[in-house]
Amino acid sequence: MLVLGMLLFAVAGCKHGSGDKPLITEGERLATKGEGAVPACASCHGEKGEGNGAAGFPRLAGLNKDYLAKQLQDMAREKPPEGVVMEPVARDYSKTPRVNSDLTAFSPGLRHSPVMSPLARGLSEQQINAVSAYYASLSFTAKPLPADFQTLERGADLALRGKPEYGLPACISCHAPNGEGFGADFPPLAGQPPKYLIDQIDKWQTGERDNDPLALMKAVANQLTDADKINVAAYFANRTLVVKGQ
Amino acid sequence: MRARILMTAAVLLQFLVAPAFAANKDVVDGPLLDGGVVRPAEHQARASVPATFSHDKAIRQIPQINPGEYFIPPQIQDIPTSKYGQMVEQGRRIFTDTQRYAGRYVGNGLNCSSCHLQEGRKAYASPMWAAYPMYPQFRNKTRSVMTFEERLQDCFKYSMNGIAPTLDSPEIKALSAYAHWLSKGAPINQELPGRGFARLSKPRDPNSINGEKLYRENCAICHGVDGQGQKFAKRAGYMFPPLWGRNSFNRAAGMSTIKDCAQFTKANMPLGKGWTLTDMDAWDICTYIWIQDRPSDPRFGWLMNAIMPPVGGN
Repeated sequence: MLVLGMLLFAVAGCKHGSGDKPLITEGERLATKGEGAVPACASCHGEKGEGNGAAGFPRLAGLNKDYLAKQLQDMAREKPPEGVVMEPVARDYSKTPRVNSDLTAFSPGLRHSPVMSPLARGLSEQQINAVSAYYASLSFTAKPLPADFQTLERGADLALRGKPEYGLPACISCHAPNGEGFGADFPPLAGQPPKYLIDQIDKWQTGERDNDPLALMKAVANQLTDADKINVAAYFANRTLVVKGQ
Repeated sequence: MRARILMTAAVLLQFLVAPAFAANKDVVDGPLLDGGVVRPAEHQARASVPATFSHDKAIRQIPQINPGEYFIPPQIQDIPTSKYGQMVEQGRRIFTDTQRYAGRYVGNGLNCSSCHLQEGRKAYASPMWAAYPMYPQFRNKTRSVMTFEERLQDCFKYSMNGIAPTLDSPEIKALSAYAHWLSKGAPINQELPGRGFARLSKPRDPNSINGEKLYRENCAICHGVDGQGQKFAKRAGYMFPPLWGRNSFNRAAGMSTIKDCAQFTKANMPLGKGWTLTDMDAWDICTYIWIQDRPSDPRFGWLMNAIMPPVGGN
């Protein structure tokens, strides 16, 4: 009887097509109510994870689950001791001489935020996965922000073509043609508050954020001027975007 | 002809001799690596640039780009609103989304802008503004003088692994118009800096085993460990183009030769971090790409494709 019941339960689970259902429920509870010292995510990131444009708190709804989990893990990570050389590229150190592999450490990624780092440290691995699965399951529809014609034109030029004469690639070449994001490594730019995008590029330039694969974004961010940041953030905030939860 | 027979014989001989070595597999795959033994690294550990931009070596490696060093093509907003302008716009559409606008001539998953980066504007990624003014031009591949339109046909035949549009087809006209517009103000028949690909040194013979390691570290995140690239979520074609396999360029494409591939890789890859790989890294990675399977050379029949060694190996 018990076995039959378990089988039925398994079949029912398959029918709904969401094996993550309990994980998402746990994430929803965490996101809306918080737990212990960790306040509800929704208090800053919005009721439906839509972000807060004025304060520059990012949208979380409809982002990639693995991307969200990695960001929380990176925020929770302590800074390495002074003098340790961190490389952004994961190398196969079993194939390099021991002397070299002892001196060089592979950086899994650091993302420092005075607000988020303490909160991320309060979450267990299970909770990180749960809250990431919850926000990845939410749908999102962007509200395009108006901007003046010249800003949009310059932003579009940078977003679609980059700066070929300086070897700066276009945003869309990794973040997908409409800035909707691509996979776990390339997060969406469309539908994010412009202040958030500008803040993040600033953080790459100052080294506060250093958790991108192959340091690809760092190389790009270091070539962006202040005007570029404003133009391109305005362009992506002006895009329409409809995301269906995973 | 005699050379070809000799080469064929050499290839057949390989098949006959190969089983003799097959027993000692470790030797064929390269020696087993022991982590405890200190030996010279197969590739130099590099500073990631610009993470440690002050690194002397990095500064020496990455060329400082000064304003005005490369030709700057006209802005997209300056396309005239005439019949010519419409043709230019159509050419740009074909260039960036070949799958949709010239799909009937294309046999693989690529777009023009998969290699001619940033809509054909990027220096050292065969920019259109440096190519168009150089035609008509003698080409070693065909041993004849070619017009730009005929060169476009070859792109469709080899790099796109498809069939050539006729010279009077709207696709060829539109692409020519786009290249013509991009080279507005460029001198005719004069080599511009940034034309074609970068020039590389070759300190030693390339090594595909080292290349595989470098490929997994630097390329696999976008192009995949299996080299099959990643498709767009919402439209046809590839966001990160496949480097081998049936959706990639064929054996006769320029990019399928190790030299062209290495020269392209050095200046442009990983995207946004051009010039950070050493010359030898680029050679190694491209040797690894070259030994993979891809569509055959359409100029030969299946028999010649089966027994001829693929071109571009040296």
